[in-house]
Amino acid sequence: MNSAQIIIQIIVALVAVACAIPGTFLVLRKMSLISDAISHSILLGIVIGFFIVEDTASPLLIVLAALAGIVTVILVEYIQKTGLVKEDTAIGLVFPALFSIGVILISKNANDVHLDIDSVMVGDLSLAPFDILQIGCIEGVTDSCINLGPKAIWVIGTILVITLILLFMFFKELKVSTFDAGLAAALGFSPLIMHYGLMTVSSITIVGAFDAVGPILVVALMIAPAATAYLFTKDLKKMLLLSCFFGVFAAISGYWLAHILDASISGSMTTVLAILFLLVYEPIITSILVSLTVGTSTIFYQYYELLVANETGIEHMLLGEKIQTVFAEFVFLDYVYILIIATVLTAFLIYILPKRGVIYGYYKVRQQKTEIMLLVFLLHIRNHSEESERHVKHLNEHINWQRLRSKSIVELAQKNNMITIDSSIISLTKKGEEFTEKAIDYIITNKDTEIEEMKDDFFLFRG
Amino acid sequence: METKYAITVDDLTVAYNYKPVLWDIDLAIPEGVLMCIVGPNGAGKSTLIKSILGIIKPIAGTVSIFGKPYEKQRSLVAYVPQKGSVDWDFPTTALDVVMMGTYGSLGWIKRPRQKQKKAALEALEKVGMLPFKNRQISQLSGGQQQRIFLARALVQNASIYFMDEPFQGVDATTEKAIINILKELRKAGKTVVVVHHDLQTVPEYFDWVTFLNVKKIATGPVKDIFNDDNLTKTYGINYKVSVQE
Repeated sequence: MNSAQIIIQIIVALVAVACAIPGTFLVLRKMSLISDAISHSILLGIVIGFFIVEDTASPLLIVLAALAGIVTVILVEYIQKTGLVKEDTAIGLVFPALFSIGVILISKNANDVHLDIDSVMVGDLSLAPFDILQIGCIEGVTDSCINLGPKAIWVIGTILVITLILLFMFFKELKVSTFDAGLAAALGFSPLIMHYGLMTVSSITIVGAFDAVGPILVVALMIAPAATAYLFTKDLKKMLLLSCFFGVFAAISGYWLAHILDASISGSMTTVLAILFLLVYEPIITSILVSLTVGTSTIFYQYYELLVANETGIEHMLLGEKIQTVFAEFVFLDYVYILIIATVLTAFLIYILPKRGVIYGYYKVRQQKTEIMLLVFLLHIRNHSEESERHVKHLNEHINWQRLRSKSIVELAQKNNMITIDSSIISLTKKGEEFTEKAIDYIITNKDTEIEEMKDDFFLFRG
Repeated sequence: METKYAITVDDLTVAYNYKPVLWDIDLAIPEGVLMCIVGPNGAGKSTLIKSILGIIKPIAGTVSIFGKPYEKQRSLVAYVPQKGSVDWDFPTTALDVVMMGTYGSLGWIKRPRQKQKKAALEALEKVGMLPFKNRQISQLSGGQQQRIFLARALVQNASIYFMDEPFQGVDATTEKAIINILKELRKAGKTVVVVHHDLQTVPEYFDWVTFLNVKKIATGPVKDIFNDDNLTKTYGINYKVSVQE
């Protein structure tokens, strides 16, 4: 790694954290789309700022851009308050209007200025390490400047520090006004102030992140980490920490993905974010796919490096030719390696990820069915003292279950020490007796507290 | 002797988009009553509570709590919103929601500490929800959620309690538990104002009643004014309710 690479990674990580914090509250307030609106409208602020000072580096641009973001929020609220349209429609009306004014202004007046549409849309980080913040420069004197390091780090770092200070100071106010605006108002924490405070921080953050990732992908950095964290935890503090973690993880690994693929950094970061969300939402299938891809690409990349070192001229080929050349060199053993890597990774991912998704859901339903059957069986035994009802062979006739099912249920009960079988007559153990009692009690009274400790073992009681 | 009023409302008018929801309401609620507000859907019951609490700004009229504006008396007032007004999937626990009741006394910036936590735990105990303190709120039943909301109001240790339909969607056991707590509050000299829907239970639960349908129809002791005449005036149909003696 060279220092420019390290600097870019620091920038993306800072951007990710700065976006994840307001993003978490936007997701919880069901206002994800407002970040999209702000990120587009700020173009108007930047353009107007540029016309005033004729300098793309002026701080006035940032101030006006943030202001444009807040104006967007105010306009959306205003239109929504008329009661003529809903919030999503209001958002859809406001930001394209402001954005298009910005576009017209650029095309009419700034054709000769370097406002590259590509770098405006997806951001451009490759030059960020060389844009150094300097102070104390004396005109005509060489080496009089004091270098303070890359400007982008200063800008986004300042925004992040302010965001963190505000978060620590107003955490409880933000929480209560997000959860219950009515209560917040009654307690004297004006939800309006919190709303506009959050919107101002979001606007400023989006402006700061604009250079790094562009207006479209900044939305992903605000929303995706928070949405992923929301699936993971039911604790606001943990959700904040996790969204920061996911953001930084996606930023760094996205950077390296971009490096390997020789593609856009912001595009790669967003791809990683999408994969992360899928991983949490549908862990088993996604982790198999991801680990197969990771396994293949790791070995692919090793081969690639090897071929480059052997001066095969591979680096000048098109991507398709590169893939062909590398795979031509593959030996069978490498596929085994890929499988091993994939298996280990999958096992690891499944282990650390919460139990969600289709396959797990199916498993859970099956398990619940088994447990309810176990309960029916235990209850039957408990209700009948007569031996004829408790004979192993009579069970399938009486409860009307298939032989195989009765056998598996009896085995399950036996394994859990809930029954004993004495010359084909089943009787409940003390444990089985207690379990049945409690379970029936729960089902009738719905008193959750009684069965807290049973919940670890049984799906049935997890609601 | 002059009666001491907990809440006085003068000429209150509230409008949404120029349509009056509450029209020229005058209301004086004596201290220490357990009062319900009844009226048909859209009568402005919730709006009345919200405007007393300053959540909605009226276009005319004044509200005072023990003779002073609400803004100066916040610490004396607790509020239980409708259960459906919040997102129960919010990432937080039962204890944390109850702790929110202490935020008002803390003011801006200050964080809750052990003292607030202890108060919250006591309130949870009172509503029988202590074993669920660490439960994520979406994992609670409707009745349990309502109890959590009640605990959050109790922890404020207020003089006046406003509750917006606390019996909505709760089972009979929870309803009994809640009304018992409300009666205890009255016994302790607190004033309780409840938006209520079930007319059958009014005489059993409350001692004071306000009939509301955009305008105030009547207000007073249940035994004096809870009659077919007022019900008919409020609900617009010939309403008969059998009042148990």
